[in-house]
Amino acid sequence: MKSLRYAGILCTLFFLPHLLYSQDPNANTVSVHGKITNSNGEPLSFVSVMIKGTGKGTSTNAEGVFELQAPRNSTISISATGYISKEIKVGAKEQYTFSATLLENKNELNQVIVIGYGTRKRSDVTGAVTSISEQALREVPVANLSDALKGQGAGIDIQKDAGNSKPGASPKILVRGTRSINASNDPLFVVDGIPYNGNINDLNPDDVVAVTVLKDASATAIYGSRGANGVVLVTTRRGRNGKPVITYGGYAGFVKNFGQFDLMDGPTFRDFKKWALINQTPGVYSGLNDPKFLTDGTFTPEEVQGINTNRSTDWQKLVFRTGIMTDHQIGVSGGTDITQYSLSGGYYRETGVYPGQRFERYSVRASVDQQLGKWVKVGISSLNTYSITNGEIASDVNNPMAQGYRANPLVSPYDSTGKLVNAYVPGTANQVWNPLANFLPGAAAETRKRLGTFTTAYLEASLAPGLKYRFNGGAELRSDTYGNFFAKNTSYNQGAQNTGSNRYSFSTNFTLENLLIYDKTFAQKHKINFTALYSLQESQTQTTRFDYNNVLADALQYFNPQYASNLQSSKNSSPKWDIISYMGRANYSFADKYLLTLTMRSDGSSRLAPGNKYHVFPSAAVAWNMIQEPFLASATAVSNLKLRASYGTVGNTAIDPYKTLGALSAATYNYGTVNTTGAYLTDVANPNLTWEYTSTLNIGVDFGFLQNRISGSVEVYQQKTHDLLLPQSLPATSGIQNANVTNIGKTENKGIELHLSTVNIQSSRSNGFSWTSDLNIFINRGKITQLANGVTQDINNNWFVGQPIGAIFDYKRVGIWQATPGDTALAQSLGLTTTGSGSVIGQIRVADVNGSKTIDPGDRVILGNSQPKFEGGITNRFSYKGFDFTVVAFGRYGGLLVSRMHQSGSFMNTYQSNYNNLNIHYWTPTNGENYYPKPNHAQTNPPNGSVLTYFDATYLKIRSLSLGYTLPQSLVKRTGAKTMRVYATAANPFILFSPYRNKYHGLDPEVSMQSGAGTGSSGNQAGINVDTPPTWSMIFGINVSL
Amino acid sequence: MKNVFIYPLSILVALAIFPACQKKLVESPQSILTPAFFSTPQGLQAGLDAAYAGNRMVWGPQDFFNLTVAGTDEFNSGNDGDNGLVKYNSGYTTSNTNVTNVWGYCYRYINTCNGLIDIAPTVAGLDTTTRKNILAEAKFLRANYYFILVQFWGDVTLNQHFQTTPTTSATRSPMGDVYKFIIQDLTDAIAALPPSPLQGGVLPGKATGAAARHLLARVYLTRAGSTAAQAGDYANAYNTAIGLINSSASLGLGLQQDFSKVFAEGNETNSEILWTVQHTSTLAYNGSPAQNSSGPDNLYNHLFVPQYESQPGMQRSTLYGRPYIRVVPTHWLTDTVFAERVNDQRYNKTFQTMWLCNYAGNIPVWPNPLPAGAPAGAVPGQKKFALGDTAIFMPGYNVTDAQIKASRYLLIPPRNYNIRLAPTVTKYFDTKRSDMNAPSIRPIIVYRLADTYLVAAEALFMDGRATDALPYINAIRERAAYPSGNKAAMDVTAGNLSLNFILDERSRELCGETIRWFDLVRTGQLVQRIVLHNTDGQKNIISPKHLLRPIPQTQIDGTITGNPYPQNPGW
Repeated sequence: MKSLRYAGILCTLFFLPHLLYSQDPNANTVSVHGKITNSNGEPLSFVSVMIKGTGKGTSTNAEGVFELQAPRNSTISISATGYISKEIKVGAKEQYTFSATLLENKNELNQVIVIGYGTRKRSDVTGAVTSISEQALREVPVANLSDALKGQGAGIDIQKDAGNSKPGASPKILVRGTRSINASNDPLFVVDGIPYNGNINDLNPDDVVAVTVLKDASATAIYGSRGANGVVLVTTRRGRNGKPVITYGGYAGFVKNFGQFDLMDGPTFRDFKKWALINQTPGVYSGLNDPKFLTDGTFTPEEVQGINTNRSTDWQKLVFRTGIMTDHQIGVSGGTDITQYSLSGGYYRETGVYPGQRFERYSVRASVDQQLGKWVKVGISSLNTYSITNGEIASDVNNPMAQGYRANPLVSPYDSTGKLVNAYVPGTANQVWNPLANFLPGAAAETRKRLGTFTTAYLEASLAPGLKYRFNGGAELRSDTYGNFFAKNTSYNQGAQNTGSNRYSFSTNFTLENLLIYDKTFAQKHKINFTALYSLQESQTQTTRFDYNNVLADALQYFNPQYASNLQSSKNSSPKWDIISYMGRANYSFADKYLLTLTMRSDGSSRLAPGNKYHVFPSAAVAWNMIQEPFLASATAVSNLKLRASYGTVGNTAIDPYKTLGALSAATYNYGTVNTTGAYLTDVANPNLTWEYTSTLNIGVDFGFLQNRISGSVEVYQQKTHDLLLPQSLPATSGIQNANVTNIGKTENKGIELHLSTVNIQSSRSNGFSWTSDLNIFINRGKITQLANGVTQDINNNWFVGQPIGAIFDYKRVGIWQATPGDTALAQSLGLTTTGSGSVIGQIRVADVNGSKTIDPGDRVILGNSQPKFEGGITNRFSYKGFDFTVVAFGRYGGLLVSRMHQSGSFMNTYQSNYNNLNIHYWTPTNGENYYPKPNHAQTNPPNGSVLTYFDATYLKIRSLSLGYTLPQSLVKRTGAKTMRVYATAANPFILFSPYRNKYHGLDPEVSMQSGAGTGSSGNQAGINVDTPPTWSMIFGINVSL
Repeated sequence: MKNVFIYPLSILVALAIFPACQKKLVESPQSILTPAFFSTPQGLQAGLDAAYAGNRMVWGPQDFFNLTVAGTDEFNSGNDGDNGLVKYNSGYTTSNTNVTNVWGYCYRYINTCNGLIDIAPTVAGLDTTTRKNILAEAKFLRANYYFILVQFWGDVTLNQHFQTTPTTSATRSPMGDVYKFIIQDLTDAIAALPPSPLQGGVLPGKATGAAARHLLARVYLTRAGSTAAQAGDYANAYNTAIGLINSSASLGLGLQQDFSKVFAEGNETNSEILWTVQHTSTLAYNGSPAQNSSGPDNLYNHLFVPQYESQPGMQRSTLYGRPYIRVVPTHWLTDTVFAERVNDQRYNKTFQTMWLCNYAGNIPVWPNPLPAGAPAGAVPGQKKFALGDTAIFMPGYNVTDAQIKASRYLLIPPRNYNIRLAPTVTKYFDTKRSDMNAPSIRPIIVYRLADTYLVAAEALFMDGRATDALPYINAIRERAAYPSGNKAAMDVTAGNLSLNFILDERSRELCGETIRWFDLVRTGQLVQRIVLHNTDGQKNIISPKHLLRPIPQTQIDGTITGNPYPQNPGW
């Protein structure tokens, strides 16, 4: 908690004279004794406790305790940097003892926040940044840091990757929309000053005490090209002066599936299948009651038995179970003036909502800061994680859950003797294996073990007054060992030979930085800060993979491929990249009123073509603290007003290494018994590949009214990207198989972000009722403004000038062709078949948009895109006495999602009746259904079925409900602890206003924009896979400090 | 610590880092092969292997199969077959994946061949023979890929050189230019390739002069039937074919005595085979990594297989295969073309009509009372048959409902053939796969000498030399009588000969061999024969729209610079 430390020092200096005053005894005084804590029950030191109107007062000690003599009937004002002040009245009694909780103030001006390569008082910040405090991070206990950021800041869009909820899955983070659509739009994570390349799941969120998100070009410029998608600065806990403080936090709870997919039950599926047959071979069956159905092999004997006994197996229910979450964190920190230390250990474990899925994480963290003599300070921090993930092949249609969705509801998973049928589920066209077979002992094993260490060290030396040298070094080493084994009789192998796979990956990331920092104030009004940097980053990974089958004994699993056959090795890689940077940043402020930041960074990237490797990225920002102007001095209602503007360019090199070189791909072949591995050109060299540039103009206003009881900021920005790096798929005649990564076109993003913090109710009593809110709303509009060679649309790549990246381009749905003479005649006039198994009657009807009297590719139009109209989050905190209650909600309005569940790839909505189907109200000749088409056994998917997959992505989600209780001191003391808080949290308990969920059989509309599961070749549509279904959880926890 | 130490310290740290740095921005990948490798002797060899491997994407998967086998007079769509393309209904669109895939594969590997042909002449360290062979093999393969393109799509983009820069524009060359290019490639290839697949240690699957001559004969014959026809095409076709036939003995080639031996499992390098696309029991080299019937796997063993497994007494087995049920034969094929089954032995050698019980779990029992005419020994409540007995039989002639009822096994006369169950082409059956669901490990026979005979016969007939055609067609027919048929009775006379007869004979000899659609288009018979024999397509087929495949929509959508890519008529 750097900010607290700074704040404390400031307070002490400021109030020192008054402290002396308060020593003076006064006969007319009362004695006030108290303890100040934050909402987590942690004691706050250096809190100023003042007698209102006198300028006299004291401050709290390290235990948060103060003592004070105050006049009778006076008001005591309690304030601390970063917290909302509080006033308490005392009467005429001799003695007062109370404890008070201070609520955090997010927009407090003196709060010191972490920015790139330094810290800055909030009032001195010139760029667009969002900082998230420890308190906000603690409000919702989560498995990973990105979950903790959800709904916390404007412009930070965090959504589940392809809608995946399996244990250990990490969400996608987008800062201010999508720019390029290549390798990544992920922001850069910087942990304790050093870029972090590991998995976000390997960061223990409990070790994190502050997060700052840098959004505009000026704020991110100092990170150069790596900051192109925004920067998330993460500060981990470090020791502070004082006696050792031991903390323990732990929680346990359960996780359950958030509902079930609405699939057909036995009788519904029976009729559905009959209709599919009727439509496959018109004229063969007399109707649903034709007895032929039960004898001609349409239904398997097991299905017939199911029909006769009215069976309806709920396969999902058989697969789902309740997962368990547990978390333990223990830490100790403390220090002296010259040495501060902090140690912690953590354990987290979560089991999934179906067997085999598990995520476990062990983490150990240590940090030491040491003053060496007067001028030099050194420090080291080390984050170490070992994690185990089980059962992560979940996106595969072969995973047991996906098999469960498709399993036939008319049949039982068990035979007549009650034994599990370890075979294809009857009545699934031999494509669905009994999903429960995967859970038999020894059937499936899948484990990923990740070991990661992330160590950062610094040396800081004062070279001269105001001049500092700092060396930062960071080393990140990761090893990742993965193995899987699936026996013959599993959904994975479906009776074929057993299979195994081993994958190893080792990666190293090094960062070395040399910084010179000059900080000086001239003539009291001119503050200058200059930072110069030289840095080298290198990342290297080696990945090896072996796949094989026919393992001699199942018990060997993936541990000894020697006993397996057909060993193959593919997808091996060893990418390496380097970035060399030179950077300078100058800050100038005049009288704290006028602020200026100039940044210049030159990056050299190994990934770009020779001649294009280096580029310079400049940026500038100005800010005007209007509140300091005399003309606002009389406006007492206004407590803060600052205008900011910034402009800058950053580059993006987010392409994979070696893309400029081109590549061959392997192709195996044999000539009789001579086996060969051939190679052919699949990726053409692009020797002209250069940086993608994004220029951002950002204008912001920070404001505060009524002693900052209402505070916030508004940001307006415009980003223009040119030389966009995109993979472009080429027409087949080019002979080039893989998409060609190239600089092509321009995009633009515009947006508004609003952040508002309010103190709605603040009781004047020590622990009375209070209510605060945090609201953020953000709107982003992105579009392609230009494509190469004057092209205005590139359909294969889903690029349309004037549209966001990832537009949805398809036929326009009108309804269903009805069995009326009018519809038949119209269909025929459009060249559509109206007889036989290919008849369009009962099928999806799309519009002849271009009026060509045929349905042709010219009828495809842009139906929309996945960009929401707006998004936002709101957090409400209530507290009363020792209780606190927090509700975090977030939502998005507008935009389309692409539901893979409704698409061919999921096999859940094929209308073929080969296996179970979503319980849709399908068309029959008499029901006039105008949304869902008829079942048809003749086709694997309904024609134009893709138009059934686009849904309004609107939703409002209650992310968490958390109720806590901080035990009163009197009670806690008896336990020997200093503070103790217990809480219960429900995560993701409700989804509201989601048409996808409420109307169209979907479960959870939350999905990342860039998950690539969309229909477009380039992805970038909000595509929901059929994967581990969404979950909700309930946990109970305790935090204790000793 | 004093200030004075700090400056040198920081300078030292800085100096230690700087010099190493600039080199760090140079990329030197080790886990990928860059295009430069292609221009080495090893790279060319690897490129040639890849150009061969490309054929697995054409022959083996469903795409090319759906485009050539189904939607013809020979086959209707099966229960799990395609519902648009092969039925010519409005579900068959320019976005059809079969069409799109084949188009893409051809251009992908043509570019590989172009690379070989452009680069081989100048690569240092390559001996003359290897260089000559690489060029000749690449030209054979390139001609082969272009021949597919020109037959399906007519005018197509003609890439004559290695494309190493991305392009988003493309134009179509007249069909005549493409044919000329193919003929030149094959002419060059014939001159340089080893003459026979069975001599000189030529590895199985390699291009040979014999294969190239056969292909060239077909190219001439096909061009003769197209709008790009040149004078002398028929003559060139039969001269090329007859040349090969006449030299076949000296090349160690010749028709198999027994028709059933041509496709016998394990006999894929027999004397009749001119060219195969290879597969192997070494599964790591057989096709898709997971051997799950995807990508370059050989699925021909699955595609004809009907739904025998859901019948009483039956379950899925490696012997009978995995029922993909993509096609079922038309009644015309089984009942008319193969009507003669005494002297012509090919019906029984082409089709499976009997399945033996392989599952005791669901053998049916005799009802009580027994049906009239039940066989002796039938007892009510007792099983109708035992493991290993006949479970399904298709006699090929009509039987009464009473006979069906009285039969021990499932008796299916032609009138009861349906899209789930009908006689099954066995040419590609593979009983030695690792698993009942696994793709085939058998090489696919693409070109064989019997077709050379029929090409010669057709070209002669079309050129007005029906009598001269007779020896070639009769050679095939006489062989079909082996062993118990009357050879002489198989012979036909010039009076019997007609285009229809030749097409029928091609069905008897070559049905299911991924060639029929080309035969019908070449002879201008596609529409008539679909209307007559294919119940799926007869109401839907439109001329000239369906005489060419649509240019894939992705090609049209992807041609974003230059002129728009033209679509074929009617699409």
